[in-house]
Amino acid sequence: MAGVELLSDQGYRLDGRKATELRKVQARMGVFAQADGSAYIEQGNTKALAVVYGPHEVRMSRSKTLHDRAVINCQYSMATFSTAERKRRPHGDRKSTEMSLHLKQTFEAAVLTNLYPRSQIDIYVKILQSDGGNYSACVNAATLAVIDAGIPMRDYVCACTAGFVDETPLADLCHAEESGGGTSLALALLPRGGHIALLQMDARLHQDHLETLMEAAMTACKGVSKVLDQVVRQHLQEVSALTGE
Amino acid sequence: MIKTEKVLHLKSSRGRKVRVVREHYLRELVPCYSSLCQAECANEGKVLSADVTHYVVPDAGVTRDFMEILEFREIQGLVFTQTACQAVQHSRGRRQYNRLRSLLKDPRHDCVLFANEFQEYSYCPREKGEPQDKWQTRCVYQAAVWYHDHLAGLKPVVMITEDQGAVAEYSSLNCGVYVLSTLEYLRTFWPELQAAHELYGSIAQALRERGNEGTEREFAEHLPAEVLEAGIKSGRYTQGTLNVNKHRAQHEAFVRFDGSSNKNSELDSDVLVWGGKNRNRAVHGDMVAVELLPKGEWRGRTTALTEGQGEEKGEESQGQPMPTGRVVGILQRNWRDYVVTFPPREETQSQGRNSLRILATPWDQRIPKIRISTHQADTLQDHRVIVRLDSWDSTSLYPNGHSVRVLGRAGELETEVQTILIENCIHIAPFSEAQLREMPASSPERPWTVDPAEVVTRRDLRDTHLVFSIDPRGCEDVDDTLSVRSLPPGPQGPRLELGVHIADVTHFVKEGTLTDLEARARATTYYLADRRYDMLPAVLSADVCSLLGGVDRYAMSVMWDLDAQTLQVNRVWYGRTLIRSSYQLYYEQAQALLNGEEAEVPELAQLPPEERDHKLSHLIEALETLTQVARHLRAQRDQGGALELEGVEVRAQLDEDKNITALVPRQPLEVHETVAECMIYANHWVARKIQERFPQQALLRHHPPPRQEFFTQLQDSARALGFTIDTRSNKALADSLDQAVDPQDPLVNRLLRVMATQAMSNALYFSTGACPVDQYYHYGLALDRYTHFTSPIRRYADVIVHRLLTAAIAVEEGARPAKASASNKELEEMAQHINNKNRAAQHAQKVSMELFQCLYFRDKDPETAECCDAVIYAIRTNGVLVFIPQYGLKGALYLRNREGQVVRVSQDGRCVWEAGSLQRSLDHVSTTTASGTSTFRLFQHVTVRVSVQTSRCHADTLHLELVSNRAHRAPEPPDRTPRAAPPQGTRGRSQLVQEVVRQAEEALLQAEEKKGRVSELSKEEREFRQSKTPNLYSLLEEVREQALLDLTACGAVGGGPDLGTAARPCATSA
Repeated sequence: MAGVELLSDQGYRLDGRKATELRKVQARMGVFAQADGSAYIEQGNTKALAVVYGPHEVRMSRSKTLHDRAVINCQYSMATFSTAERKRRPHGDRKSTEMSLHLKQTFEAAVLTNLYPRSQIDIYVKILQSDGGNYSACVNAATLAVIDAGIPMRDYVCACTAGFVDETPLADLCHAEESGGGTSLALALLPRGGHIALLQMDARLHQDHLETLMEAAMTACKGVSKVLDQVVRQHLQEVSALTGE
Repeated sequence: MIKTEKVLHLKSSRGRKVRVVREHYLRELVPCYSSLCQAECANEGKVLSADVTHYVVPDAGVTRDFMEILEFREIQGLVFTQTACQAVQHSRGRRQYNRLRSLLKDPRHDCVLFANEFQEYSYCPREKGEPQDKWQTRCVYQAAVWYHDHLAGLKPVVMITEDQGAVAEYSSLNCGVYVLSTLEYLRTFWPELQAAHELYGSIAQALRERGNEGTEREFAEHLPAEVLEAGIKSGRYTQGTLNVNKHRAQHEAFVRFDGSSNKNSELDSDVLVWGGKNRNRAVHGDMVAVELLPKGEWRGRTTALTEGQGEEKGEESQGQPMPTGRVVGILQRNWRDYVVTFPPREETQSQGRNSLRILATPWDQRIPKIRISTHQADTLQDHRVIVRLDSWDSTSLYPNGHSVRVLGRAGELETEVQTILIENCIHIAPFSEAQLREMPASSPERPWTVDPAEVVTRRDLRDTHLVFSIDPRGCEDVDDTLSVRSLPPGPQGPRLELGVHIADVTHFVKEGTLTDLEARARATTYYLADRRYDMLPAVLSADVCSLLGGVDRYAMSVMWDLDAQTLQVNRVWYGRTLIRSSYQLYYEQAQALLNGEEAEVPELAQLPPEERDHKLSHLIEALETLTQVARHLRAQRDQGGALELEGVEVRAQLDEDKNITALVPRQPLEVHETVAECMIYANHWVARKIQERFPQQALLRHHPPPRQEFFTQLQDSARALGFTIDTRSNKALADSLDQAVDPQDPLVNRLLRVMATQAMSNALYFSTGACPVDQYYHYGLALDRYTHFTSPIRRYADVIVHRLLTAAIAVEEGARPAKASASNKELEEMAQHINNKNRAAQHAQKVSMELFQCLYFRDKDPETAECCDAVIYAIRTNGVLVFIPQYGLKGALYLRNREGQVVRVSQDGRCVWEAGSLQRSLDHVSTTTASGTSTFRLFQHVTVRVSVQTSRCHADTLHLELVSNRAHRAPEPPDRTPRAAPPQGTRGRSQLVQEVVRQAEEALLQAEEKKGRVSELSKEEREFRQSKTPNLYSLLEEVREQALLDLTACGAVGGGPDLGTAARPCATSA
């Protein structure tokens, strides 16, 4: 670990947050008119845009068609200007492919796909600015976009990361904390039932600490879900005011 | 919370500049940690006291450069700002920052950290184009203003800065917030704190001097940290600690790897760093990154002995080429306080252009000369001074430093002893008033008594158990007692109950109290040759905690329910108890009782005869049972492969006035082993208990198996005598050592054991969470888990273990522990701290012993200096290493002097220097001259003369001179030559002791004489309440040193393999 102190003795993180505090979340739904659903989210300095098309008939090869439910197609990309050094390839590299796959798994668990047999739902997510927690920003943005598209889901899917420093779990890591070399765990949660849609962790962690880390991540996800809920309600109010109902 | 953004310009790993945007959250509620707070901040932990005249806020520059001044405990009400702390972290590295952190954590020091950059109103964003230091000063000022307003103006706040512009700009902006320069601040508020003023002067001078350095480059620049880190990861560089060879400090240094970081698997040995250029400004102890040189440039380790500062000549004396490298960067400076000696006037003036600058020579030979700029050069001639290093630029041949404190004139006893303490990083102040106030009251008139409320909570063993202690005679701090009794037979047959009762120190020393903090900082009791620094105040160590006979005392007990026949453990009970020791026995007395001899038991003297006989038989029975149990335990461990490392103690008999009447060697009595075995057993079971209960955070002690390559010397030496030593496991080693006995010469076995001990690594404390389970093993004792539990009065580790055990018992009883026990990380840090302190203590003890040896030999007339017997135990290219059993000394014996002459032994055994050559082979070295050849073999006895080589800057050393190649025969009693002595054992030892007694008498006489001569010294002696040099304690230490040579004299064997209580110093009346 380089000489950065991720958690000071007084309990402050690098950016002045305490261990359990989330970054500031701001979101908007319905940013594009052309798509069926769209949303924009900022989690701290991580900014993501999600667009949903569908459900529509399967446009990929016929063989992919599922006769009992809808196919979910996810594509994740990062803008070339999203990182401190310009990215060469916005999508299609190994990391993006993996992320696309994770998103797909997450939403297959959350969207009620069996309502739309033989059809397809496309979710396109783009990271405009990256500052840690890309996956969770994508999931949260996509959730809002799916809701905007009016596709039924079991629950909100809320995602958040959590790290572990000095025996203390940290919620919602920023880039500096993620690259600091510690453990990072990404969790996507269906908060009402407490179901886990996806759980990912690459680094090593002692088994005894996993429980506390998951606990912290789940609390953080529930926090995110409250914010998302507020955004959706606000959006609904605005829309209904516009349509004059 | 408000979100803002902060733009940083950082360097990427490839060295390019990158613009990074980071979030920065501000909040309104940031605790101020002041007891004057009106806004009810959430102040947890340490708070600033209200009874100071002002609060002082140092700015970033002051915190960075003058932290040493801020470390004075007198300066109170310190508020460090986050800005300043980060500045320290960025510009001075982790070490300095950790120092600041420990300062902030230290409850004895009145200072707090205020997170000003996270406070909504005290944060000020950096403006465009504003220089970093200006911005930092502005931030700190803003913080000072906020602090003042936050406390509603109750306390004036002083900001100190070195920036005169800031003083002018800010000083009149706000009333109540003063801006002063550091010097002005010290003058105004601390005019009487002379030490701080001096320190300030010396640091400021060093800073000024640093500005005008030459530009000529002496060394290659260090690589930047990122490059080093990348290089270490890729395996191009290797990371390790630099160890400078003490005897060839100019040229030879080795880099030793810390196990895990070594990616380069082909490197299994150390890397040699040859010469000053390759060492590239690294100082002994630094963590460095090295790059290996191409194989063609590899060199060998020098095997010749160097005489003083003698230059190397020729390449012939090299060993096998080994990996050689050069230092490319320093990851972590490990500078401490160094003691240097100021040169006399002639030398300072010859320094040339700048007479203000002085090159001072450190006491430690491994440290390069330090350049100091001072005005006091004249007054401090030949004084020893504490110095801290500041920097070492690539343009300078020597590092820069500044003086901190003057110790005294070189050569004076008090100065030398202080030097030893400082060089080992031992800082001991007397116990403070506040600490002593925490102690329970106890005086001879009104002795301390047990608290009835406490009695209820403890198991009362006063009437049910026969408890006794066995210690050296005259022992005051009794921390262990024993008991044994038979229990009603169980289903498997008759049962026994063995109990070990340890002084309950933790009852009196609560965690977090001042005494506890002091004890933690000391970590152990320090024994020097002429004095002792206790870990706990005397009222605890010699009275209230000491398990004296006939009085009620609190204890922490372990009791085993054993099967009387097989000695299988049925049940173990741990807990707090109340005991009354019935007999305070001493070893010889106990052994006499066991042997059925007549022995005086003072506790029974008053009783009528029948009762006395009854009680006596009861006691003897208990002792016998105990012995039997211990034998069994020992046998069990022997099967596991426990090593026997020789340990002998000598005991002093005292008369009523505490004068020595005789020194009696501690006969290797069985009862010693019995007590030691019980203690080891108790330690082992406690280790099991706490490890089971706290698998992640128990303090244990392990002894890692030694690296096989370290045994080469032992094996080679043994082969020379025709023995084979099997080092594959501890059992094999123990067995083969037992067999390697030369009936002709008992010293052989002893020396082989010394070598074996030398090859071993130290036993260390560790936290169970930090080590995999298979590394818990204790190699020396052959136990899978071990800890220290039985001497809480002398060792802080035992205090921790006591607390852990108490917590374990509390958890088992269902109670939630009042406070969470220390986490693994804290415990590991603590273990490291204790290990370091133990090592320092042992080293200090060894060095102080050497100091006294030198004093002893210095006072002897070199002409009449007595010759003594020595044994060769290692061969070098230009000499041999010898061991002098009589004084327990080891030293180098040169066979070739500086003129290139070699020693020739004439017919009658006399030695003369002649021109000739030297041939070295594995087990002998021979000198060839025109008139003949003489050979010196391993384990050959020779006669040497001991004299003292005085040195102005360093410690004096002993110099050995070869007198004859035959064993030394003392003139009078013929049986005093070791060869004639009966096989190793009582005779050899008693001879040794007689020698010491005689020595001591001489020393006493000399001391008398000296007192007359040097009145100055005795004045100091009075002043420092130091007992006269050859006091009982020094004697005992001397004797112990010789006797325990196997353990302590080997230097590296810090902590040694545990010998239970065997290594305990027996004198308490020093």
